[in-house]
Amino acid sequence: MIANRTEVILGRTLLILALILTVIPLVSMLSAALAPADRNPTGIEWPSDPQWVNFVTAFETGNVLRLMGSSTLIVLGVVPISLLIATLAGYALGGLRVKGGRGILIFFVLGLTIPFESLIIPLYYQSQAMGTLNTQWAVIFPLIGLFMPFSVFWMRAHFINVPPELGEAARVDGASTWQEFRRIQLPLAMPALSALAILLFIWTWNQFILPVVLIADPLNRTVAGALTFFQGQYSLSIPLLNAGALIIITPAIVLFLIFQRQFIKALLQGAVKG
Amino acid sequence: MPSSRRPAGRRAIALGALAVVGVVLSACAPGAAAPDTSADAVDVSTELTSDEVTLTIADETGFPVTDKLTEEFTKQHPNVTFNITRDTFQNLTANAPKLLASSTPPDLIRLPTLGETVKDGLVLDLDPYFDAYGWDAWPASQLAPLRMSEDGVRGSGALYQLGLGYSITGIYMNTALADQLGIDGPPATMAELEEDLATAKAGGVQPIMAGDKDGVVNFVTQAAMNQYADKDEFMAWMFNEPGATYNTEGNTEGAELIRRWADEGYFPSDINALDYFTFVSQFSDGGALFTFNGNWEAANYQAALGDDVTFFLVPPIEEGGDHVAMGAANSFSVAAKSQHKNEIVYFLNWIHTDPVARQIIVDVTGASPGGDPSLALPEVESGSLIEKALEMSAQIGEENGQVDFMANTTAGIYAGSIIPESQLLVTSQITGAEFTERVQKFYESEVGG
Amino acid sequence: MTSRPAIGPDVLTPGDTPASAVAGSRTPRRATAIAVARRATLVGWALLVPALLAYVGFVIWPLIQGVQYSFYDWNGVGVATWVGFDNYLRVFTDPDLLGAIRNAFLLIAFFTVIPVSVGLVLATLIRSMKAGAFASISQTILFLPQIIPLAAAGIAWSWMYAQTGAVNQILSGVGLGWITRSWLADYTTALPAVGLIGSWVLTGLCTVLLLTGIGKIDVSLYEAIRLDGAGWWREFFTITLPGLRQEIAVLVTLTVIAALSSFDIIYTSTQGGPGRATLVPGLSIFRIGFTQSDVGLASAFGIVLMVLILIVVLPIQRLSRTESR
Repeated sequence: MIANRTEVILGRTLLILALILTVIPLVSMLSAALAPADRNPTGIEWPSDPQWVNFVTAFETGNVLRLMGSSTLIVLGVVPISLLIATLAGYALGGLRVKGGRGILIFFVLGLTIPFESLIIPLYYQSQAMGTLNTQWAVIFPLIGLFMPFSVFWMRAHFINVPPELGEAARVDGASTWQEFRRIQLPLAMPALSALAILLFIWTWNQFILPVVLIADPLNRTVAGALTFFQGQYSLSIPLLNAGALIIITPAIVLFLIFQRQFIKALLQGAVKG
Repeated sequence: MPSSRRPAGRRAIALGALAVVGVVLSACAPGAAAPDTSADAVDVSTELTSDEVTLTIADETGFPVTDKLTEEFTKQHPNVTFNITRDTFQNLTANAPKLLASSTPPDLIRLPTLGETVKDGLVLDLDPYFDAYGWDAWPASQLAPLRMSEDGVRGSGALYQLGLGYSITGIYMNTALADQLGIDGPPATMAELEEDLATAKAGGVQPIMAGDKDGVVNFVTQAAMNQYADKDEFMAWMFNEPGATYNTEGNTEGAELIRRWADEGYFPSDINALDYFTFVSQFSDGGALFTFNGNWEAANYQAALGDDVTFFLVPPIEEGGDHVAMGAANSFSVAAKSQHKNEIVYFLNWIHTDPVARQIIVDVTGASPGGDPSLALPEVESGSLIEKALEMSAQIGEENGQVDFMANTTAGIYAGSIIPESQLLVTSQITGAEFTERVQKFYESEVGG
Repeated sequence: MTSRPAIGPDVLTPGDTPASAVAGSRTPRRATAIAVARRATLVGWALLVPALLAYVGFVIWPLIQGVQYSFYDWNGVGVATWVGFDNYLRVFTDPDLLGAIRNAFLLIAFFTVIPVSVGLVLATLIRSMKAGAFASISQTILFLPQIIPLAAAGIAWSWMYAQTGAVNQILSGVGLGWITRSWLADYTTALPAVGLIGSWVLTGLCTVLLLTGIGKIDVSLYEAIRLDGAGWWREFFTITLPGLRQEIAVLVTLTVIAALSSFDIIYTSTQGGPGRATLVPGLSIFRIGFTQSDVGLASAFGIVLMVLILIVVLPIQRLSRTESR
């Protein structure tokens, strides 16, 4: 795009401002985390004596390893299954284009408008009846269900953009539906699948209201769900609270930074379709 | 394909489904009547089993006394170990009934308010143990708030809770700042207290350190009400006796006093952003002349301010009058479905009777260990805040001036009404009369409805 | 080899590809097509079953149960009493609950209007730069707030908004020291302050999504209008904005849902205070349902919240749909 010089400078300045504003809260968390643990720091300041040991203290006394383990368990329960069944459904709707598919799609998409708050109460009693209350399963099952609307929509959006000739050609060569799926569709779906995997991972890792309501022991929740537990344990020490919070959010950030290229590429592939 | 049939058929199916759902919804009411627990009563025993047992306790974050007590108990009885889970006060209060109703309830749970747990048969009736262990030697008035009758009125009926320490509240004063301002000692009357507040304000010192982000300014609000209200009337309301009201003259006068103090600027200007721990640490840093708090912070304040701090009961209106102070058991209940009833009650009894346990309670929380008054009192450092706290407890006991915390009146009244309304009161947004009216209205909807 | 149909000889209908005509089937294309289609439908529906089961079992069924609870007065453990529409009446007459709904709608200004507008500006800016390290790093950084849990955002920002926090520090630094205050404790600034947390969280998402949308707009349109002598203003309004209609619709939908159903941020920052200045339906439902154990009222409020979301979101979808093919 052609643009003149003032616009470029103005544009860049605005952008840099936006970047700074985005990063400030994280910087403030870091500066608080590095302050001496027994005082309440004020404002952002690079401490003269950075207390990296705060991270170690928070890690140990906050049972962070156990929290991460619990979160990982929940992620392993939610993400693979969700990916699998959403892909199957997405393929049915977008690739095979079953009859009545449009109605089913609308049925799923309406689910996107259901706020979690409307469901937490019945979900509580449901998991109690199922005997899963206070275990990770109480969160895993509902999350799989709750992620279906978006995931099915996402995978369908991918499959619908795959030219039908590819599938037909394979079919004509004598391949069964299953073989065609495995050899052609699946590899093509990889970018969309990996982007979805990352999204689901992040949303599961950051789940808050479901674990708080459904799992009584904070140490068996997701890391986000245990943040209020941190608040209670560490309220006397803002530095430890911030150190703990930073430790908790790091895995998600690291994962995102590693995969951000795939992720944005998949977004570019037009998941945003009508 | 006859397409005209499809929409009609579809419509019929939809209607049919709706009808079925409708019938199901109205026919099957959720919930069930309270289980009859008398059938599965366990033999009450005061002997501790020699089997390996693990007891679970659901406790609040930030209160390490249960850790120390359980450590000591396991030292004395190695076959009994403990598993303590902690959550914030808000989460715990919200989750308690469900925790107790689940199939694996904690054996012991921190329960500030009984609420409907008694009606729903979720907590254990401790009276059989009362008889077996001989708890009638303990002060009846200390245990009264832990009792609840069948119609949900506290103060009488079966015993459902015990306290891990019994607290007392009062005013901490920064004596170094007091000296600077020319104040030579704790005020003896409410009027003197107000004078001191004015002196502090004029001298550029924060008169009262309080926070209301999570409601703790209500130590101050209730302290004021305590002095004006009729104690028995107030307690009747807290115990949910039918016909009792919060909207009394005394309570309103107390609330108006708080509003006056707010108007005068005696509270921190950002009071609604200060949570419990911030308000504690700000006083500990020498940020104010007075703070209203309980014995549980005595050790912390002492560590922070050394000799520059003293603790005293909220003064009465008239010189030499009887004192009224909030105090309560750090109340815990046993789950009705607990698998280890005898063992956990043994632990509770041990806390009240074992000298080491009693010492731990005093050392860690500064609370009175309760139990038999004829038992030796634990050692305290002479001149310390904890010693003062125990003295205050004893004095309140003598003057029969103990009242419960109004925040514990019902399960929802603190978060649902008292906190938001007090936030408005201490920032001069509503009058004292409006405060008491609104809290009463909420109370009625929760208890009456 | 497939069997011959009972009716008619081999027929090749127009449009057959030679491959399918030759590849071993001498049957009329129509019958094969039907058979294939039927099998595809069966297979397709079989593939749909797992996702449908999960969705119906853990979303639709609880929703129906929620509707059921809303007609009772129940504390979650004991006996439930039928009260008809009483709970719904309470939702619409209780000033506190109505206040919560009002706050949720006010949050739309911060969760939707700001992020989408700022997102549009930033996306246009990034697009106008050469694609390079700076552009891609910008996108990554801007997206970071989406990665951290909302609860952590609430905690981080609460501390920044304190009297002695970073926000006041920065304001004083640029000479605006006179407006510093404890932002979350002030009745007038608490809700906007909380709203801005949401803006911070959602702007990156909007920027990145709009960027992908801009990428699909035909570059030649821009070149043409530039040759016409148009400034960026006209370029923006006549080309960029219309071209992003779909994306904006999606973003508005997502962010409105986030605004109306907000919970995490408020729970970890203000708990609904001061007073009820930041009380939102999500927090109210949680409190009524779990702290006050009034399951019926909480369920009714939950259903009302869902209906409100539908009322706001469906028209947006309809508007965007009329444009697409």
